[in-house]
Amino acid sequence: MKQEELKTLLYDEIAKCNRCGFCLAVCPVYTVKGREWATPRGKNALIRAIIENKIDWTPEIEETLFRCTGCRLCTQTCFPAVETNQGVLAGRECLVDRRQYPKVVDRVVEALEKNFNISGESNQSRSMWVEGLGEVPDHKFQKERAEVIYFVGCVAAFYPMAHKIPQTFVRILDRAGVDFTILGGEEWCCGFPLIQAGMKEKMGKLVEHNEQKVKEVGAKAVVFACPSCYHTWKERYHTDAELLHSTQFMERLIEEKKIAFNNGIERKVTYHDPCDLGRNSGVYDPPRNILRKIPNLHLVELEGNRQLSVCCGGGGDLEMIDPELSAAIAQRKVEEIQRTGADEVVTSCQQCIRTISGYARKHKIKIRVKDITEVVWEAMVK
Amino acid sequence: MEREKMVEELAGIVGKENVLSSETDLLLYGYDASLFRGRPDCIVLPGSTEEVSKIVKFARANGIHIVARGSGTNLSGGTIPTQGGIVLHFSRMNRVLEIDIENQRAVVEPGIFTLVLKNQLARYGYIYQPDPASEKVSTLGGNFGENSGGPHCLKYGVTTNHILGAEVVLYDGEVIQVGGKALDHPGYDLTGVLVGSEGTLGIATKLILRIMPKPEAVKTMLAIYNSLEDAGRTVSAIIADGIIPATLEMIDRLTIKAVEESIHAGFPLDAEAVLLIELDGLKDGMERLAERIMEICRKNNVREVKVAKTEAERAQLWAGRRGAFGAVARLRPNYFVCDGTVPRTRLPEVLTRVMEIGRRYGLAIANVFHAGDGNLHPLILFDERNEEELRKVHLAGSEILKLCADAGGTISGEHGIGTEKMKEMLFVFNSQDIAAMKKVKKAFDPEDVYNPGKVLPEQTLSA
Repeated sequence: MKQEELKTLLYDEIAKCNRCGFCLAVCPVYTVKGREWATPRGKNALIRAIIENKIDWTPEIEETLFRCTGCRLCTQTCFPAVETNQGVLAGRECLVDRRQYPKVVDRVVEALEKNFNISGESNQSRSMWVEGLGEVPDHKFQKERAEVIYFVGCVAAFYPMAHKIPQTFVRILDRAGVDFTILGGEEWCCGFPLIQAGMKEKMGKLVEHNEQKVKEVGAKAVVFACPSCYHTWKERYHTDAELLHSTQFMERLIEEKKIAFNNGIERKVTYHDPCDLGRNSGVYDPPRNILRKIPNLHLVELEGNRQLSVCCGGGGDLEMIDPELSAAIAQRKVEEIQRTGADEVVTSCQQCIRTISGYARKHKIKIRVKDITEVVWEAMVK
Repeated sequence: MEREKMVEELAGIVGKENVLSSETDLLLYGYDASLFRGRPDCIVLPGSTEEVSKIVKFARANGIHIVARGSGTNLSGGTIPTQGGIVLHFSRMNRVLEIDIENQRAVVEPGIFTLVLKNQLARYGYIYQPDPASEKVSTLGGNFGENSGGPHCLKYGVTTNHILGAEVVLYDGEVIQVGGKALDHPGYDLTGVLVGSEGTLGIATKLILRIMPKPEAVKTMLAIYNSLEDAGRTVSAIIADGIIPATLEMIDRLTIKAVEESIHAGFPLDAEAVLLIELDGLKDGMERLAERIMEICRKNNVREVKVAKTEAERAQLWAGRRGAFGAVARLRPNYFVCDGTVPRTRLPEVLTRVMEIGRRYGLAIANVFHAGDGNLHPLILFDERNEEELRKVHLAGSEILKLCADAGGTISGEHGIGTEKMKEMLFVFNSQDIAAMKKVKKAFDPEDVYNPGKVLPEQTLSA
């Protein structure tokens, strides 16, 4: 994006920021950093100063704009609801235009262009998690035609720690008798990392490919266990298929009696709302409804829940840009979870799991972190 | 002094990572929530009283100004570095040092958010009473500097009534204790002098606060009016009847519209004004008191009185009130908050004239204020990017303050004087009054190290 476009697109939005500072109290980056540059107010001020030619694109502006989790808790608690993250993302696009951005971004872009996924591996390895399932149908969940596509997402497909999510989710779908398929090597990254990197114009090819696949399969619905893929599709894709997060889909399967729970699970759990699922996509109730349907499972809320959920630290690709900052935010999340006294935290995002359990493991904190699909499956087979 | 040298010296005191001096940082510490802008030479984030003392000694020795700052939510430009120098940002000094329930005291560092302390006290069933609308982010050090108010200050008094003592770093770096945990201290009441001095006399590095048990019962009512005058008359009538509710807030039609667009607080869109009346205290007798208030409301043509039935309903009403300033930015991008106080009996008349001023300048004005205190907050709506409009806003703001002063009131209820209202000080003080205040400034800070160019108008400073 060129600097002049910033003015057309965002000047009026940013001008609504009256510097009241209410956002400071909730911003996870400021909570850790305690410096004005970290605040949403400061980010608005910088974008405004750029628009008004009062400051040049300093190295600190780059550092600032690439340190936002995109959680949008600032906007949620801002009375004029200033969309700071839009400014941040547009600012990143301008920085990219100037070739002024963290070099780690190039590695991801290169991986996406070469392999259509964020890992360094060949896209054919996308379904390697299937191997860990033991006995599977001959088609290995890859069919030419199906009612439903399960869009696995890069993190769940390529990072072994997250394999449990697709593994349990396909078991659930299979047990519920859903006619579904995965796309295997034909699933391409949804484009979310490019939006975060300020390179959304590069995502066209990925979007087109994935949209085409939906047509070829003749799917009526695409289901995602990854909130960021789900949100990206909702915002940027054009398709007639219904787009559903796994929690919405499972809630429906429970209503249709295709998923049934037997004895339930005697446990106290808390639920962490992922930013891209909750605040950014408005899905709050389905995961809670599912958990409440499991007999004997006791749900306690976090201090920041639903609209006010606090980011785990993994949002907006922050883990890639600044792992230390991401971990410091995760620390606060872990402390919040511990204050609930729950035995386990359930969430519905592989990135949240990665960030929270990654921090806990590193600091030898005993905390059980589970994806909601794992809890559902446990309750189905118990 | 060369900036590089200054940064190097300060880094020696607090560590390199706690001194900021990039172009970006200088811009970011040049604003607060007011319409003023400045530019510091560098920003320092101290971690202890000892560090603050060393920084101050260094600054004084080199003729550098210091502006202390918390979250920068100040509404009168009190934290703007108008003459450069060092901005001290207290975000690292944000601990609760002691909660002493038996003696009903808390000791905190200045950088802690007001609400963070309150949340900790809530676990003990205790409360720190002052509640500035920005409490979730304003710091107690900032509240100390500004003598902040808030809705509940009608019954409980403003910040100064809840600060019993402080550790203060003087202009020469010496650290002194003022006041203490006891209720009354011998000698001069320096705590009283320092609270509300807007960072011009000293820097508080530790605060001793009065805390109270949470009231046994709370009752929150929303009185809805078809006329602003009727709402205003109700306010006077309640107080005249000898009742002091915990809060008595008024919100007018334009503000209601903005708030309801922002969050659904439950204010009716077709009302001309609502009063947010809260009672707290013992359960016994509260119903009777509420009935007396409702009777006064009815006598003054109230359309309806709604009572919050649950804690959630109450929280929602207060969320609407606390967010009112920000919410008006939905109507026009920017707002200028006037902060004048008038005798309660003059409220209806002054309000009418405030609206006249708005009409004369062609500016929309929304009203949300601490009616029980007679503390007006007309919000003038405008677009900061329009220079002509900005000029008119300052003129209208000044006229409104003149109006308050002429009505027997004053030019600030709780937001301070800062850079914004120095010349308006002359509406309420004569040159002898100002000269007396100047002597206090001279006694505390003869070399003008702290927060220069604030509070006292220039012309009398040299007098």
